[in-house]
Amino acid sequence: MVNLTATAESVDQARRLLEIGIDTLYIGEDTFGLRLPASFSRENQKEIVKMAHNQNKKVTVAVNAIMHQETMGKIPEYLSFLADLNVDQVTIGDPGVIFILQRNKYPIDYIYDGETLVTSARQVNFWAKKGAVGSVIAREVPFLELNAMAPQLKIYGEVLVYGATCIHQSKRPLVQNYFSYIDVKEAATRDRGLFLSEPQKKSTHYSIYEDLNGTHIFADNDINLMLELDKLIELGYDHWKLDGIFTRGDEFVKIAQQFVKAKMAFHENYWNRDLSIHLEEQVKKNHPKNRGLDMGFFLMDPNNIK
Amino acid sequence: MLKNLKKPEILAPAGTLEKLKVAIRYGADAVYIGGDAYGLRSRAGNFSFTEMEEGIRFAKDHHAKVYVAANMVTHEGNANGAGLFFRKLRDIGISAVIISDPALIDICINEAPGLPIHLSTQASATNYETLEFWRKEGLERVVLAREVSMEEIKEIRKHTRMELEVFIHGAMCISYSGRCTLSNHMSLRDANRGGCSQSCRWKYDLFDMPLLKKHHSLLGGNKDKEAFSMSAVDMSMIESIPDLIKNGVDSLKIEGRMKSIHYVSTVANVYREAVDSYIENPTSYVCKQEWIDELWKIAQRELSTGFYYHIPTEKEQLYGERRKNPVFKFIGEVLSYDSATKMATIRQRNHFRIMDEIEFYGPGFTHFHQTVTTMWNEDMELIDCAPNPMMIVIMPVLQPVKPGDMLRKKKDTSEK
Repeated sequence: MVNLTATAESVDQARRLLEIGIDTLYIGEDTFGLRLPASFSRENQKEIVKMAHNQNKKVTVAVNAIMHQETMGKIPEYLSFLADLNVDQVTIGDPGVIFILQRNKYPIDYIYDGETLVTSARQVNFWAKKGAVGSVIAREVPFLELNAMAPQLKIYGEVLVYGATCIHQSKRPLVQNYFSYIDVKEAATRDRGLFLSEPQKKSTHYSIYEDLNGTHIFADNDINLMLELDKLIELGYDHWKLDGIFTRGDEFVKIAQQFVKAKMAFHENYWNRDLSIHLEEQVKKNHPKNRGLDMGFFLMDPNNIK
Repeated sequence: MLKNLKKPEILAPAGTLEKLKVAIRYGADAVYIGGDAYGLRSRAGNFSFTEMEEGIRFAKDHHAKVYVAANMVTHEGNANGAGLFFRKLRDIGISAVIISDPALIDICINEAPGLPIHLSTQASATNYETLEFWRKEGLERVVLAREVSMEEIKEIRKHTRMELEVFIHGAMCISYSGRCTLSNHMSLRDANRGGCSQSCRWKYDLFDMPLLKKHHSLLGGNKDKEAFSMSAVDMSMIESIPDLIKNGVDSLKIEGRMKSIHYVSTVANVYREAVDSYIENPTSYVCKQEWIDELWKIAQRELSTGFYYHIPTEKEQLYGERRKNPVFKFIGEVLSYDSATKMATIRQRNHFRIMDEIEFYGPGFTHFHQTVTTMWNEDMELIDCAPNPMMIVIMPVLQPVKPGDMLRKKKDTSEK
């Protein structure tokens, strides 16, 4: 049974995502969660959880930031709030949060999300031993490695099937520092929509922005694994994530809908090449016009990575 | 209150057996090295087991410790054989391994019990709850993330018995360590498996892009303006040693397994002097200008205190200017000294000649300057320059020297 997790940017979008058949909503607030489409108020978090639970759907809350002491001080209160909401699970990247979760016995499941750091079955299984119910697999893991990992996994490995990949997080305000250096006043927020290109590859376009958690840089193109979903199914990777950080509003809902259709096709056994090509076209059509799509590291030969 | 200060360990990098010995002679209490596998410096000289054993013997004779960095983030299959590797390290007397990958930690705990584990800075540990998590797993030390401030160290120290190790000198990742795969994506070189191509130090165009391929550069094609970059200056905490000691840091780490013996000897020497001097008399301690000057002799970039006192601004990043080369070059090391004739036998490591102003320095922060007046080669023929690598040179010296003392000279401005 495929579980589709999708980020939500508003209560309204959350409602529509549930309507089209998304299984799990992914939300949170910027203080504790990394690179979210929106930072939700407590009131809105409450509303979304209630709405999802009324429809027997789930909510994952991002608590996956690298926590400095000041933020860590606010963690017990936040986990306690989430426990009261009966949130289904949280993502955690900082083992200190796991320490608090378990010490204070909050009845919340967690998914380990160390971003770049989960790259082997033994790592996933380490977090399983520490009580995780799942683990987000790094985007730098090619299919051939997923293949080798699959039979060993003791908990599920979540795979990003659509959306942007963060490839760099700095605590420094790298863009504002640069603006100060060249003496210009500019915003470096996500809405400003800035990109970087490599010196030797001028056509590249890595998104970059700053927020509470520092500076974030994203891969050249966003991920779209629509054409390869059967490979994931075959290996038992059935927790799929859709990330709408750069794909907003209706377009993201429409894209999510294509993945819901794919899920139905697998469940009812009519997945085929033509369908996947058709769904992929719909994904491309609704993808932002200033962003590219590819399969990232998925089809790469692991031996080509030094 | 200052009476109970704990003297922290000085931990130096050792890319080779020679550097290991130099680091220890110049004051390091411990060194960290890389093995043949599982490390992050694929291009640093890594140690075979035989070399490690010799290094350990040398270290023991000098009451020093040897740690092995096995700080890669393994992909499927990379951890094969790690259990055997860790058991071997334990059995030959390695004092600890530095790991960030939970898979390797798990293997080490289960397959090489008794081998102490230090959590690598690659794991970006920034709070005491994280340290407590790892202490429960049996780790004995954590290398804190470079993003941790002095105030945070103080807070962390209050709440955990875990040993704290922090960086005090050297190059820095501009990202949270381990959370950067720029190199993977831009060069197909895995930053977390020793392949980092230092993409952060490249020059990028910064632009907005309403439609794919329509780049609107913020500089508008103005070539005179500086391009975007993410290159950090280096760290030096020489002026803040008391803060680190007062806050209970257990180990002061110097970065640089790829660095030269000139670098390692100079940096270890300076921090040894500073730590000893502070511990001996904290109330009258002052950071000496000569220590700071000494560190500038081997500096490759500007220096800063990283995140310890504030979030780094543009002043702590390198824009435009080329990497600064050290203004001093390492020219030789003393092999022996004859106190009757006041002559030193020297192994040449870089070209020097008669009339050069040179500086001798040695462990214990000994220093003196002199002009090269007379030199002989090993056949006792008078020479006026020493052009050949590793050639033997004999010369009169103004002050007694010891084997292992080093010679450096200021670079000619014409030299690159």
